[in-house]
Amino acid sequence: MIRQKIESMTGALRRILVIEDDAETATQIVSFLTTHGYEADLAVNGREGLRLGETAQYAVITIDRMLPVMDGLAIIRRLREAGVTTPALIISALGEVDDRVRGLRAGGDDYLVKPFAFAELLARLEVLARRSTTVVKETILRVGDLELDLVSRTANRSGRWIKLLPREFQVLEYLVRNAGHVVPRAMLLEKVWDLHFDPKTNIIDVYVGRVRRKIDTEQVYPLIHTIRGVGFCVRAPG
Amino acid sequence: MLLAKTLRSTTFKLALISIGVFGAVVIALFGYVYWSTTTFVLSRSDSVIEAEQAMLRRTYDTSGREGLIRAIDQRKAAAPLEGAVYLLASESFVPVAGNLKEWPSALDGVNKWGEFKSTALTPGPSATQSLIRAKWEIFPDGSHLLVGRDISDLDRFADEIYAALAFTILLIFALAAVASVSVTRRTVGRIESISATSRSIMESGLGGRIPLRGTQDEWDHLAQNLNSMLERIEGLMAEVKQVSENVAHDLRTPLTRIRGRLEKAGIDKSAADHDPLMISETIADLDDVLRMFSSLTRISQVEATDRKVAFRTVNLVEIATGVAELFDAAAESKGGRVEVIGDRSVHISADRDLLFDAISNLVDNAIKHGREGCIVIVSVEQKDSEAVLSISDDGPGIPPDEFEHVFKRFYRLERSRSMPGNGLGLSLVAAVARLHGARIALSDNRPGLKVELQFLLLDGVRGNNRERASGVARKE
Repeated sequence: MIRQKIESMTGALRRILVIEDDAETATQIVSFLTTHGYEADLAVNGREGLRLGETAQYAVITIDRMLPVMDGLAIIRRLREAGVTTPALIISALGEVDDRVRGLRAGGDDYLVKPFAFAELLARLEVLARRSTTVVKETILRVGDLELDLVSRTANRSGRWIKLLPREFQVLEYLVRNAGHVVPRAMLLEKVWDLHFDPKTNIIDVYVGRVRRKIDTEQVYPLIHTIRGVGFCVRAPG
Repeated sequence: MLLAKTLRSTTFKLALISIGVFGAVVIALFGYVYWSTTTFVLSRSDSVIEAEQAMLRRTYDTSGREGLIRAIDQRKAAAPLEGAVYLLASESFVPVAGNLKEWPSALDGVNKWGEFKSTALTPGPSATQSLIRAKWEIFPDGSHLLVGRDISDLDRFADEIYAALAFTILLIFALAAVASVSVTRRTVGRIESISATSRSIMESGLGGRIPLRGTQDEWDHLAQNLNSMLERIEGLMAEVKQVSENVAHDLRTPLTRIRGRLEKAGIDKSAADHDPLMISETIADLDDVLRMFSSLTRISQVEATDRKVAFRTVNLVEIATGVAELFDAAAESKGGRVEVIGDRSVHISADRDLLFDAISNLVDNAIKHGREGCIVIVSVEQKDSEAVLSISDDGPGIPPDEFEHVFKRFYRLERSRSMPGNGLGLSLVAAVARLHGARIALSDNRPGLKVELQFLLLDGVRGNNRERASGVARKE
């Protein structure tokens, strides 16, 4: 077991359990998470993963789908049976079409297909980690000088109304709700369009590009940023 | 060889069983005819005998023994014609009157039916034995009176029945044997030609076909179906071969580039340290490879048969609208637009994700290959028992002779080879259509291309749709 600790930055739980049997991938994930301010515990087989998952407190657990000793889905099922509600991210090298459904049905909270960009792994982990800590019901979302009224479904930036299509508003709302964090393309497609596949084109970029034109044109600073190869991030300067 | 096969074949065994059953039925039928005829004839002759007996008894009662003898003598004259037999015998069974020379020894007790043989009815040198059925009684003075009838006809009838039965059975068996052997031979012959073809396929590849006899019977239909199955398999095999070659080619190109870059980075110490361009290019190349892989696995997964688990009732219009919305921005960036026209709701049973993906591919193609300011029209309509979804553009279109090829994996038109893409999009569309039992038709939109997908409506959904459609019509 490799355990690397750094000082907790926010006070929130920043400890992640990585259950992964491939040594190199495991080391890469752990070191990546560590450089991004997380504490990571590594379990190299199913039994160890289950033991750690049951005994320690984690923000998120990442589970490889195929593991020695005990299958990834079985671990999730056992953890859920034991009352552990920690969000689980399934990482799988299996095909995505049926496997995603099976993984989510087994109690997984998100699904990532190997190989993946580390940035996307981080983005998904952060969404999962936040889900367990923040449950706030707002009617107005604000980032910088952008204001989204969730009741009237309207947006304005520095007092100027911006005309958005309903779907564009949904996209913007999701990005703003996750302001400061990277939202992977596929995640946007999942949350806004309820689609669970990679469209394999730059279509999401084009779509977000149009939203960005409406939001960021003739403004003092840009709000929507493209993170190359991963997705988008809404961020105000300062 | 063929005979042995014939005898072993299932058809032959079935034929034997049916012959056996048929033979048993014939035997039973003959038995019944025999039984009902003899019963009828016997009961008639028995009642005649009993009537005569009663009459003779009355004669005895009124005229006494002498009168009885006279009556018997009178009747004796007509006896040979009617086949009647009479015998009045003394207490010690000595004949007194009648046409029997002696008391038949084969008879049972008094007042019981019995049968015996006698030549009494044909006196003279050419005497033949007749079968007599008779009954006797004892009169108060102790004499015995026997009255009987010739039932030889019945005997002959029985013989004839037996002969007919035997002949029929022989004939049936002979005919059945010939028929079953010839039917079996025919069957075995056809099966043999199918087995021969499958053997030749196992030995030397998928080229063999089962010969047709042009009889249009079920064997020809089976052969036709098997042949078209073989055709499809052969096509698929060729496709698989083509696909593996294409995969190899499409993999080698980016992998060679990646390898070259890494090698260069290994040699060139100064660049190896940190070369952001090389790294991003390498990641982009790897992503291309991975994207191709996931497209391929996705197509195979869609083609696997158990995908229907994710089928739900979906509104085709809602999906089409979703795609149009998603791609509107892309069309807009080329100065064009995506429009959805047609009915307001058309419900089918489908996998939403896959349909969305397939329609996305078609719309994406229309925009990508379309001209500046292209207009892509997605139309959803319910026509009779079908839901028809069509995507039309006003772009350069596809030459009609390419229509059948574009759904093949990795197939790309000459002019689009320079554009990004891997030639798998339409293969996915075809796989999704096949999974949904939908037909794809390509046509010239003059100018442009029109892709039409025809889905069958579900029975339950059909009525529902019609209701909705008429509801909309009323509102408008």
